[in-house]
Amino acid sequence: MDQNEAREFLTSLLNKVFRVTTTDGRTFVGEFKCTDAQPNVVLANTHEIRRPTEQHLADAAAKTEPGAMKVKMDVMSRFLGLVTIPGEHIVKMEVEEFASQVKGKNPYAFAAVI
Amino acid sequence: MAGPAMAAPFVVEASQPNLNLEDVNVPKDSQSRPTPPHPPQAPPGSIVAFDITSKFRHAVQTLGPGEIVKDGFFTLHESVSALEIMDPKMDSGCLEHGETLDVDYDVTQALLPEEVVGIIDQLLCHEMAWHLGYPLSQTVLTCVYIESILVPQPATLEEAHFIRDPNKATSSPMHTVLRAYCLGLLKACGQVNAKIINEHYYEEEDFVTNTYNRDLLDDFSVEAICQVLRHATALLDDLSESVPQPVTDALRHRLLLRHTLLGAVDSLQERNDPSFVRASWQRPCREALSNVGRIKETHALGRPVPAAFSAKLQRRLASTMPPRPIVHLSFDDAFGHLLRLLKDGIETANVLDYHDSQSLQTFVMMFQAAKPQPLVFVRSLLQGFLFKDMEILGGMSIRQLLDDDLSMLVLPSSVLLDRANDEVETPHDPRFIIAEQMEYFRQKAAQPFLDILRTFCQNRCRVRRTFCHVVRDWDNLQSDADDMDQILQYQTGDKPIPRALPDGSTIATYARPLWSWVFLYKLKQMEWIVFLGFELEVYQPDELAGMYYFLHELANVHLQHIGHIRNALLHNIGAIRGGPRPHVVPPPDAQLARSLTFIHYEEVDASNTMYLAQALSCLYVALHRLSLLRRPRRPYGTDELRYELRMKPFLGISDPRPPSFAEFEACTTMAEYSTDDLLDTAAQCAMAAKKGLESMSKLSEKDCFAVGSYEQWTQRVKSALKSGIATSLAVSMVQKALARPGRDGNLNISVEVPRPEKAYHEWWIVPQVRALSA
Repeated sequence: MDQNEAREFLTSLLNKVFRVTTTDGRTFVGEFKCTDAQPNVVLANTHEIRRPTEQHLADAAAKTEPGAMKVKMDVMSRFLGLVTIPGEHIVKMEVEEFASQVKGKNPYAFAAVI
Repeated sequence: MAGPAMAAPFVVEASQPNLNLEDVNVPKDSQSRPTPPHPPQAPPGSIVAFDITSKFRHAVQTLGPGEIVKDGFFTLHESVSALEIMDPKMDSGCLEHGETLDVDYDVTQALLPEEVVGIIDQLLCHEMAWHLGYPLSQTVLTCVYIESILVPQPATLEEAHFIRDPNKATSSPMHTVLRAYCLGLLKACGQVNAKIINEHYYEEEDFVTNTYNRDLLDDFSVEAICQVLRHATALLDDLSESVPQPVTDALRHRLLLRHTLLGAVDSLQERNDPSFVRASWQRPCREALSNVGRIKETHALGRPVPAAFSAKLQRRLASTMPPRPIVHLSFDDAFGHLLRLLKDGIETANVLDYHDSQSLQTFVMMFQAAKPQPLVFVRSLLQGFLFKDMEILGGMSIRQLLDDDLSMLVLPSSVLLDRANDEVETPHDPRFIIAEQMEYFRQKAAQPFLDILRTFCQNRCRVRRTFCHVVRDWDNLQSDADDMDQILQYQTGDKPIPRALPDGSTIATYARPLWSWVFLYKLKQMEWIVFLGFELEVYQPDELAGMYYFLHELANVHLQHIGHIRNALLHNIGAIRGGPRPHVVPPPDAQLARSLTFIHYEEVDASNTMYLAQALSCLYVALHRLSLLRRPRRPYGTDELRYELRMKPFLGISDPRPPSFAEFEACTTMAEYSTDDLLDTAAQCAMAAKKGLESMSKLSEKDCFAVGSYEQWTQRVKSALKSGIATSLAVSMVQKALARPGRDGNLNISVEVPRPEKAYHEWWIVPQVRALSA
C-alpha cells in the first residue's frame, strides 16, 4: 500500500463507527476521529463495553437450561464520550457498516492481506 | 462473515438492560449535565463489523512522525479533553492487574439484626457526608445493597430489591428491613436533590447533584415507599421472640426516622398556609428531633459491615473519574449534622410568618450568619419558601413586599403607593402618571431587591462576591430612580425641603424618595461587602486600619443619608398636619410612626458602625506606629496595587466614590495626629459605640425590626457590644503602657490580631492586647 492509498483508506474511515478492543478485554464503540502513526486512535461519543466476568458467565450458565446453545446475559456498558486509545493497548479494530449497504460482501476483504 | 452473532464483540447474545442507564432523567434546570447519547442499538442484523486491524496498522505505518489523519471538524484543541484509555489516572475503567470489577460481597447472605443496624448507621453517615458536599459516588452509592437495588433500574417497586431472583428472595425479615431503609434513603436523596437543583446553589462548591445516571427512585411515589417502611416496621413486631428488644427498637427508630422525613419533605410543596407547613413540616421534624436521640443511644448495638461498601462500585457509574476513596464521616459528626439539619429545617419555616419587609431581611441575614452556615439543603428550603413560583412566602406578590418596604423606609402613607391610583384611566390625571411611573420603578427595582434576599442564601464567600455585582445594579437603579423622582415630584407638587447644614446655612432639596430608598440599600450593601471581607479574612491584619477607615467613611455617608430621609419624613408629617394636600391619603399614623422608628433604628445602627470602625481604625494605626503590629514583607506587591484590589468592588460606583489612593494613604497613616491623640479618639469613639450598642440591645423586637429572629439578633448585637468593650480595653491598655514605659523604653505589651471566628463578632476584629510580664 503506498502512502496516498493508505491516507485515502484512513480518511475514508473517518466518522465511521469503530469497535476497538483493548488489551484488558474492553471494547470501545465510538466514531473514529483521528489517528497517527502509533496508531493512537481518538473516538468520539464512545461507549465502553465490558465482557461479562468469568463469575457472571458461570452464574448465567448455571441459570440456563442444560443443552441450550446460547447463554443470554447482560453486558456492562458506560458512556465515556471522547477518548484516546493508545496504539500499544489496541488488540483489535473493527469498523461497522450497515448490512443493507454491503450486501453480504466485505468491502474490507483485502484488509487481511498486505 | 456477516451476521450479528459473529460480528458482535462477544459471542453472547447481548440484551442490554444496563444500557438504559444512559437515559438520564433530565432535571428541569439548566445546570443539569447534557444527556449522553444513546448507546449503539440497532436491530440485530442491520449492522455488521469488519476486522480492519492489520490493514489499519499497515496504513498508519506510512504516516510520518507527527503526521495525523483527522476529521476536518475535529480540532486538536478538543482532543485535549479526551480521556486516555488505560491511563489509571484518567480511565476509571482501568483495572489493576488481577483486579476484577466484581465486588465479592453476596447481598443474599443472611444478616444479623446487629449488622443491619451497623449498615444503616453507615448509610446515615454517608447521607450526611453527601449533604456536606461530597458526591454520591463516594458516599451512598458505594453501598453494595444500594447498587443492587438501583441496577438494573427497577421497573416496579417489587423489583427495587437487592435480591431480584425470585428463587432466592427468601422472606428474611432482616433483608426486608434493610431494603425498606435503603428505599427510604434513596427516595429522600432524590427529594433533596430535586429541591436543591430547583434553587440557586453552586455545583461542586456547595453540593454535588450528580447522580451518575442512577435514578433515585423518581418513578415511585413517596406514599408507596412509606408503605414499604410501615410494612417493615410491622414485621419487627413479630420478631420480639428471636431478636433482643433493644435491637428491634433500634431498627424501629431508624425506619421511623426515614418515614417521618419522607412525608415531611414531600409536604413542602405547599407553603401558602404557614399553619399547614407548621403541621406537616415542622411537627414531623420536631418528632424526628426528639426521636433521633434514641438512634444515637442505640448506635453502639450495631455491628459494622465494612464489606458491604466498596469504592470499586464507582467504576460502574456514568463518570469519567477514576474511583476515589470512600468518604468516612464519623457517626458522631454525622449525627451532629443531622441534628443541626433538623433544627435549622424547623427554624427556616418560621420565615413564613411575615411581619414586615425589614424583619424578613433580618431573619434571612441572621439565619445565614450562623456559624457554621446551615447546610445547602436548608438554604435551598429557605429559598423555596421565599421565592418559589415567583410568590413571596407563598402568598405575597413581589409588589406587596416592595411597597411594604418602600412605605416603611421612605414613603409612609404616601400617595405614590396608593393602590387606587391604578384605577385612574385618564392619561392626564397625575394619579395615572404616578401609577405608571411607580410600576416602571417596581419593574426595575424588583430584581435587585429580591437579589439581596437570594444572595444571603448562598454560601458566605458567594454572598460577598455576589454583592459586589448586585451593588452595581443598584448603582444603575439609583440614576433611574432619580429621573423617576423628578417626574413624580412634578406630579405630586412636592416642594423642596429646607435642611439645615452643619455650618449653619440651609439648603433646600427635594425629598427624592425613590432615589433615597435605592441609595440607602446601596450603602448597606457596600458596608456588607466590607464587613464580609473581615469575616472571610479577605483583608490581612495590616490592612485592617485602612479597611476600618473605609467602613467608617461609608457609615458616615450612610448616617448623613439617614438624616436626609428623616428630614423628608418629618417634613411630610408637618405638611400632612398643616393642611390637606391634593391626593394625600388620610394618614394612618401607624405607618409614619413605623417609618420614624425604623429611621431611628437605622441611625443608631449606622452611628455604631461609624464609631466602632473609627475606634478600630485609630487603634490599628497607633499599633502600627508603636511597632506592636508589623507589616509582613511583600516583595511582589505594592500598597497601591493592594489598595486597587480592595477598592475594586467600589470603583464602578458613582456615589460615594472610594477615596483616592493618596487620601487612603493619608487616612491610614494620620501623620498629622500624635499617637496619644489617636488613642484618645479611639477611646472616645469606642465609648460612643458602646453606649449606642447598649441602647440598641434594649430595643424590643418590633423596634429593631427583627420579629422572628429576635434572639439571634440580640445575640449579634451583644457580640458587637463585647467587641466595643474589648476595643475600649485594648485602647486603655495601650494608653497605660505608653504612660509607664519600661526601663529600656519597652511597652511590655504584645498585640495579636485574632481570627474572625475567635473574635467576639466576626465583623469586628479587635486586636488582643496582653501585658508581658516584665
